[in-house]
Amino acid sequence: MTEPLVAFRGVEKRYGASVAVKSLDLDIAQGEFVAIMGPSGCGKTTTLRMLAGLESPTAGTITIGGKVMNDVPAHQRDTPLVWQSLALFPFLNVQENVEFGLKMRGKGERERRTLSHLWLDRLGLKGFETRAIDQLSGGQRQRVALARCLVTEPQMLLLDEPLSALDAHLVIRMQGVLTRLQRDLGITFVYVTHSQSEAFAMADRVVIMGHGEIAQIGTAREIFRSPKNRFVAEFVGRNNIFAGDVKAGILATPLGPIPLPEAPDGPAEIVVAADRMVVSRAEPGPPAIPAAFLSEEFGGAGIVLYFEAADGSELKAQVTEGELADLAPEPGDAFWLHWPPEAAHRMKG
Amino acid sequence: MKPGDIVARAYLAALFLFIFAPIGTSILFSFNADRFPTFPLTGFTTDWYARAFARPEVWQAFRNSVIVALCAASLSTLIGFCTAYTDFRFGFRFKSAYLALALLPPTIPLVIMGLAMLAWLSQLGLSGTLTGIVIAHTVLGAPFAMAICRMRLQQMDPALEAAAWNLGASPWAGMRRVVLPFTSPALISAFCLTAAVSFDEFIVAWFVSGLNKTVPVMILEILQGNVDPQINAIGTVVFLTSMSLVILAQLMILRRRAA
Repeated sequence: MTEPLVAFRGVEKRYGASVAVKSLDLDIAQGEFVAIMGPSGCGKTTTLRMLAGLESPTAGTITIGGKVMNDVPAHQRDTPLVWQSLALFPFLNVQENVEFGLKMRGKGERERRTLSHLWLDRLGLKGFETRAIDQLSGGQRQRVALARCLVTEPQMLLLDEPLSALDAHLVIRMQGVLTRLQRDLGITFVYVTHSQSEAFAMADRVVIMGHGEIAQIGTAREIFRSPKNRFVAEFVGRNNIFAGDVKAGILATPLGPIPLPEAPDGPAEIVVAADRMVVSRAEPGPPAIPAAFLSEEFGGAGIVLYFEAADGSELKAQVTEGELADLAPEPGDAFWLHWPPEAAHRMKG
Repeated sequence: MKPGDIVARAYLAALFLFIFAPIGTSILFSFNADRFPTFPLTGFTTDWYARAFARPEVWQAFRNSVIVALCAASLSTLIGFCTAYTDFRFGFRFKSAYLALALLPPTIPLVIMGLAMLAWLSQLGLSGTLTGIVIAHTVLGAPFAMAICRMRLQQMDPALEAAAWNLGASPWAGMRRVVLPFTSPALISAFCLTAAVSFDEFIVAWFVSGLNKTVPVMILEILQGNVDPQINAIGTVVFLTSMSLVILAQLMILRRRAA
């Protein structure tokens, strides 16, 4: 394997007694689009800020291009960041904002003008050069922030929840802009977000963080179909988790036995994705769990039905509109939820 | 217009009349030909202005006041900005004590402050010098400057300065290119306001000025001799100067609210 562009080795960040990031190991390849995803407070933004040199790790090393960066101050790094708040300079116009990085690198006026116009054109902002920042729409500001970072032709771009302030339809459009840019430029994107749809739509690899640690690294499919642990399964959602003890190929859960022929004896957790669940009124063969219908959620592609099992836990099944019409569930109705045995994924721990 | 509105407007007019009547009277009599401030007015004249500003000690006092106001305002603004920036940028132990101490001077009675300044500046050998008055007025002005700068910095996205570093600006360049431009309306308004405070300040200046009188101190000395409409003329000029500074400061504050 070639040398990674970025390597975190045993990186830790403490603030007094609280640990924001603990023992992080992560490689990011040249030209890769990596999304770091997790709930708020999981350490994803701290990780990004350490990469940009805005925080320094309390232990471990961060290397970029083989060079240890721990003590390199932010302004001597080539790691431009698109901020969640965008952090455009309100007292400068569009062009002056874009030229800021070039100016700091001592580029002459002529070169600055040429490059800033090039990038403003490229991002569809031609004619906006002398506009004030507060005269721009949200989407335009977003593109100014991108141009401001890319104009210095960095080898990697950091993005901290850049789309969180945009309307839903703009988010989809900006996702297209970002993926195309990343492919065309061939540079590394490190994208921090709490939004699954953004991460899974754009990234080559998704890093899921929880409680300052990496919970799983993988492609969207790997994370959906084979979550490594309960945290990931719950975070990506639309998963049903069954926990219990395996004895002689049977998982004993509070909801009843589930056959698990290949599992060794001992405690185990399995996950069944909502879209692999089959709902029926008549009792099918095992594995199946009885549950009472609670409510439905219409979500475009599929409808998620919520059920309550005997022990009060919530179960989910995704069905099509046709299936919903056939089932015609009323709240309180008793159903059986079952799944093909191969749909159950056993989690490591 | 509803009766309530009429009452409210009348009340507002009465309030402003109450506040500005004394100063208005003083301005009126500064242009009155009669030596004594009584009605009816006897005729228009600018003679009192001519006479007041023919006196070299009046010019000297204005010169002193302007020098002191400019120096004290510059120092106050500098110290005020640095204090506010420290508060904005850094978290540290005893920060609330630090802020309370920085904002303390205006709560000290001016007579006490004047006495303390006199004792302290005499020890330093600065009593009776313009430098002494500048120091005293800086102590009075810096808390105001800090409050104004702090208000502005609170409106600044903390990511803004970090964004400048992220784009290759050294900490100093970030300060010069981002923090200072963002804070500039507050800096100008703090400068104007502290200059006005210094220009008007009488009590502390009276204690420490000695022979280098500022305008308010000189006015009192002239008044102690006799009541003369020249005082009205000088007072009018002082009022207009301070008023312009305060209005300028207010305009900067309003402009940045709009921005």
